[in-house]
Amino acid sequence: MPAPPRALVAVAVARWTRGLGLLPWAAPALLFMLCFALYPLAYSLYISFFDYNLTDPTRSWEFVGIANYAKALADHIFRVAALNSVLFVILAVSIQTVLGLGIAVLLNRDRPGTSVIRTLLLAPLTLTPIVVALIWRALYNADYGVVSYYLKQLGINVGRGPVGEPSTALVALVVVDVWQWTPLVALMLLAGLRSQSAELFEAAQIDGASGWQQFRYVALPLLRPILIVALLIRTMDVFKLFDSVFAVTGGGPGYATEVMNHYIFKTGLTFFDMGYAAAMSNLLLVLIGLFTAAYFRAIGQLGVTQ
Amino acid sequence: MTLRQRRRAEDVVVYTLLALVLGFFLFPLLWLLQTSLKPAREAFAIPPVWVFQPILDNYRNIFQAAPVLAYLKNSLLIALGTTGLSLALGVPAGYALARAASRAAGNTALLMLAIRMAPPVALLIPFYLVMRDLRLLGTYAAVILLQSVFNTTFVTWMMRGFFLSLPPDLELAAQTDGCTRFGAFWRVALPLSVPGVATAAIFIFTLSWNDFLLPLLLTGRTTRTLTLGILETMSTYEIGWNNMAAFGMVTVLPVLALGFLMQRYYIRGLTLGAVRE
Repeated sequence: MPAPPRALVAVAVARWTRGLGLLPWAAPALLFMLCFALYPLAYSLYISFFDYNLTDPTRSWEFVGIANYAKALADHIFRVAALNSVLFVILAVSIQTVLGLGIAVLLNRDRPGTSVIRTLLLAPLTLTPIVVALIWRALYNADYGVVSYYLKQLGINVGRGPVGEPSTALVALVVVDVWQWTPLVALMLLAGLRSQSAELFEAAQIDGASGWQQFRYVALPLLRPILIVALLIRTMDVFKLFDSVFAVTGGGPGYATEVMNHYIFKTGLTFFDMGYAAAMSNLLLVLIGLFTAAYFRAIGQLGVTQ
Repeated sequence: MTLRQRRRAEDVVVYTLLALVLGFFLFPLLWLLQTSLKPAREAFAIPPVWVFQPILDNYRNIFQAAPVLAYLKNSLLIALGTTGLSLALGVPAGYALARAASRAAGNTALLMLAIRMAPPVALLIPFYLVMRDLRLLGTYAAVILLQSVFNTTFVTWMMRGFFLSLPPDLELAAQTDGCTRFGAFWRVALPLSVPGVATAAIFIFTLSWNDFLLPLLLTGRTTRTLTLGILETMSTYEIGWNNMAAFGMVTVLPVLALGFLMQRYYIRGLTLGAVRE
């Protein structure tokens, strides 16, 4: 293969190194990330190959190769937690998207009062998640909870309460997430709808498109980039779910609401089985990486960049 | 049906649906507020009591039963520390990555974003060990450092977007007039980016204030935040929902107020700068 002409090489190098003089500006941040993000991540990879338990009085490290990873894949609870995490993401994100889109459409046309409603919808997403979790724990309480009471009035047998029964606990926590984060999706999509120019819709109307057709074939395709960003942000956040599991169910009843974050936390920081917890957290990173890659591919295909 | 009748029917449907939406999304907050103003007997009444004589006893109780002021101080110090450190690191980095305009800069920005997407628990385990070795467990510094990892990436990414939308001509003009590069940043670019910096600051403050997982592991007896305090108080004193609700109100009021004051910016923050309303 002939060597590329020198000029082309120079251009390629310049493309990578342009503005290197600005490096000192970014250096503190980069150094900080190196010390407190990349080093811990590398350290986590390292300890995942060791049997390292802080409660062990000898504090011994024993190299075990990929045994921790093998253990995770064979661990029944880990598999349940992984499945619950993915199920939680799919349920929460799809409900939030559908509801959010509906609310965005309702608020899209200016009517008296809609701007007040938009402002009020901000409340859930600013609230402290741990307080939100405690509110819903009280609302769901089987004996004194308001939600349980009205469900009983409707003739529904709530048993030990929505989060006390294995069959409904996960969905009950999904409701909490839907409550807190649907407004975010709605407000994002609303901003997207409002940035669409009215001329497009006039043109569609002149061509005889009905209201539904205008929405389906004009508004929705234009909304796709922002829809994908919303999905991406929500997916990543739901994978981080921790507070409500910790404060409402503790992963129970049984393992009905055990999710990866909570199980890793418990293994590493309650039972101090550090090697194993590190291995599981690396598997979680891989899972999230796969989801992110899928979304970024979708964004790339749309030609959407920051 | 005439057009006007159709419009009216549409309005009825839309307002009915909006009322349902608003009811669902405001109900838990209203429950918290009214429970915080109820005597214990009525807080646990079945069927629920919706009309009652509001009292402030619960607020008095929690300030007596628990070190709420100490929790408040800790939450405030940690949130301010994280906000300050993240801005100091992230704003110049965002500026450099915007103005360098090289491929390496773009990739660095993406890498930053990827770190932000990582679940805190993945960093928490090694970070816990590092902090233990440095004997920093239980200090403000431990929480501020790890929170700043996530927030510096956010500030860098967001400010890069902000500076990219700012034409560099003004800075170049300042430089031809004899300003140094730093002078051009400090006197020209930074003043123009105040809205962006303010957005980032308010947003980081809220995230830090609301955080539970990192303080849970990294703070100690004297550095616990409100989010830990509310759980601790509940389990130690069996305080009942009415007092818990008062504690909850104290915890959420500052961030709720900030959110409403800065509503536009708040959405921009939550969407990593992707949405500018």
